[in-house]
Amino acid sequence: MPLPTAPAALRAPARVRWVPLGTFALAALAVVGVAAVVAFLVIGVRSGPLDWVELLSSSTWDPPRSRFGGAAMIFGTAAVAVVAVALAAPVGWAAAIAIVELAPVRWRRLLRAASELLAVVPSIVYGLIGIAFVRPLVAGAAGVPGGDSLVAAALVLAVMVLPTVVAVSVDALAGVPAPVREAGAACGLTRTEVIRSVVLPAARRGMGAGLLLGLARALGETIAVFLVVGRADGRFPTSPGDVLTRLVRPGQTLTTKLNGPESILAGTAGGHWAALCGLGLLLLGAVAALTVIGQRRAGVEGAGRRRRRPTRRSVGGGMGRRSWPGVGRVARDRLVRAGLSCALAANLLLVVAISVVVLTRGAAALRPGFWWSPSVGASGGGIRDQLVGTALVVGVAGVLAAPVGLGLGLVMTEYAGPGLSRWLRTLTLTLGGMPSILLGLWGYWLFSIRLGWGRSWLTGSILLAAVAIPPVVIAVASSVAALPKERREAALACGLRRDQLVRSVIVPQALPGLVTGTLLGLARAAGETAPLLFTAAVFSGAPALPSGIRDSPVSALSTHIFTLAQDSAEPGAAHTAWGAALALVVVAGALVLAAVPARRRMERNR
Amino acid sequence: MTAVRVDQLVVSRGDRVLAGPVSFEVPATTTLGLRGPSGAGKSTVLRALVGLLPAPLCATGAIHVLGVDVASTGVDLPALRARAALVGQTPVVFPASILANAVFGIRHVSRLPRAELRDRAQAALTEAGLWDEVADRLDAPADQLSIGQRQRLCLARALALEPELLLLDEPTSALDGAATAAIEAALAGLRGRRSVMIVSHDPAQLARTCDDVVTIGGTTGDGQRSAAAPAAAPA
Repeated sequence: MPLPTAPAALRAPARVRWVPLGTFALAALAVVGVAAVVAFLVIGVRSGPLDWVELLSSSTWDPPRSRFGGAAMIFGTAAVAVVAVALAAPVGWAAAIAIVELAPVRWRRLLRAASELLAVVPSIVYGLIGIAFVRPLVAGAAGVPGGDSLVAAALVLAVMVLPTVVAVSVDALAGVPAPVREAGAACGLTRTEVIRSVVLPAARRGMGAGLLLGLARALGETIAVFLVVGRADGRFPTSPGDVLTRLVRPGQTLTTKLNGPESILAGTAGGHWAALCGLGLLLLGAVAALTVIGQRRAGVEGAGRRRRRPTRRSVGGGMGRRSWPGVGRVARDRLVRAGLSCALAANLLLVVAISVVVLTRGAAALRPGFWWSPSVGASGGGIRDQLVGTALVVGVAGVLAAPVGLGLGLVMTEYAGPGLSRWLRTLTLTLGGMPSILLGLWGYWLFSIRLGWGRSWLTGSILLAAVAIPPVVIAVASSVAALPKERREAALACGLRRDQLVRSVIVPQALPGLVTGTLLGLARAAGETAPLLFTAAVFSGAPALPSGIRDSPVSALSTHIFTLAQDSAEPGAAHTAWGAALALVVVAGALVLAAVPARRRMERNR
Repeated sequence: MTAVRVDQLVVSRGDRVLAGPVSFEVPATTTLGLRGPSGAGKSTVLRALVGLLPAPLCATGAIHVLGVDVASTGVDLPALRARAALVGQTPVVFPASILANAVFGIRHVSRLPRAELRDRAQAALTEAGLWDEVADRLDAPADQLSIGQRQRLCLARALALEPELLLLDEPTSALDGAATAAIEAALAGLRGRRSVMIVSHDPAQLARTCDDVVTIGGTTGDGQRSAAAPAAAPA
């Protein structure tokens, strides 16, 4: 009996060649971008004589006499980051435990969102807060004139790092299955004992990752530190006891050195430039290593991660119970819970305090005219041109980042094998953790000097796109990972080719992630200052909308605040700076809020 | 002419044998049942026929489906899957309308105009016994359907391809009595017109719907793992 056969026209599945071609081209763009930054630093190092031993061991930085020792900056960076994380980690961990383990379930999302508000505030605004509050505090407490010091930078960074520690730790704690907790409680353990003996051993790895990612953030932060650290070269402790004294004195970190005028004055070749690029490589290496290790531990890496064998300590946490003489189990339980709640309260208090400060000091922005009148002179007027400039640079960055991020995310999840996929993920994380000042220097070298664009808004857009791409890739990849495997199989079982699968099943699945990731990425990009300073923005004299690409700078909110903040002695400048800061927070906050509905939809689709 | 010819098929992960060895044939326009205890690899065998084994699994032995040697390299698997449509155990609907779900496969493998696609959908939904229930709400989201209706929608999605061979993996395992009856009625309508393979753990169902039944993965009386043995064909 002949088989019933269908007409030939039905058997010619349409190939969609543009899907793989397009995704690969876009992904390649991102890969080339990261490679270019590393290559730029390496070329810079090789452009002049550089004595690595001197760079790492000497603390004498004296460009006119060609002495380039970076030890003081390395010390400054390490001291600032370690003190910041030492302050932030305990509070962040305790607050995370309180959110997941103690707070009522329906409040959990709200509390988490509230503590993440700290992450919405751009670093330039933290810089302003540092100038207005932390410097006087340090000046009063430690008797440092002006208060510029490493510890002031560390205090500001501690607040900035806090949301990272809280968010990653909350994820780790929420990942511990409820039945495990229940089994602990069913044995008669108190809430505190369940946390200590059941939950923490399971979540410890992720919480450790929060610390590493916080440390990476602290090492790479530029602008907030720049405004309060004092930027004094050559301050290296002469004895172990000297370390503490140095902390309350002005210092210099790697990022603040790179963000300073020297990067422009050094030219783009020769010993001075090579030394700066060497410092950049050190910074990039440290931040990239911490970011990649931290993300892998946090479980972003997922597949192929090695499981650590449970050690005696990690499973037996509750066996050797420390005895607190004179305190009963129930009393101890109450005590610990009170302590955890205090940490959460402190966290929320910080959020409230910063909101109040930004709102009251930024009163200038509450006047509608401030938003749509142009700035006048050194510190007067409004911020119309800065808003337009920021919108242009950030908007174009979004247009660039969304397709590249989608392409990279699709290649990573759909086309690449496990090896390449892992490698691309590492690359994305590296780009995500890359100190933005390095992006700024690369953009300055490549676009402003080599391509002769001078200051151009387009350079700013390209650099901010690089800032926004990693969140896009991560969000796209996690939406695609959430695709039920049955749905994939059902599509393949109908005879779809892979490109058709990507176009008709995977891309629709990835869209909410694309939207969320782009909005969150742009919220981060809108607050960036360092990439724009040398490349795209001027304080005054630029038209609101540029007419070309070459030598077409704009004014931007973040760089506007930065310049005003350096001049904070003048009351008018401070007033305008805070007003612009409130406007910037509103812009970033609006982008984050816009991402919420998309995220909701994504969660519902799972 | 045979729709499927399988000879000494073994599916394994590394050294571990997951299914087989198994041999069977499906003559054209007949219905073959595949029976066995859970974990015997029935679904795995079905997936091996159209090259849908998940990554670490690999199949050895000869597999010929609709005249195509599935094991050879360079086979156009998507084209084969459009001719030998598989319906999975859990009813999968795409986040789209009922109509869009019904034409999901055919829309990709052909370039039919929209009106013709709709006709195909109607024919397939009728054949799957779902048309009367959804005719007035084809543009409603498919996830509003009950589980039983979804399973028939999946069947319709496969039928819209007008496949020469239909592979059904536990088509009623998630369903209650009434929904099972609806699916079986749809299968009865296909009998003698298309080649069909049905995997099920329910011998009574296979007896009702199949021309022939093959058992895999059971143990024989002396404790040996049995090779596939054709069971007695039901009357």
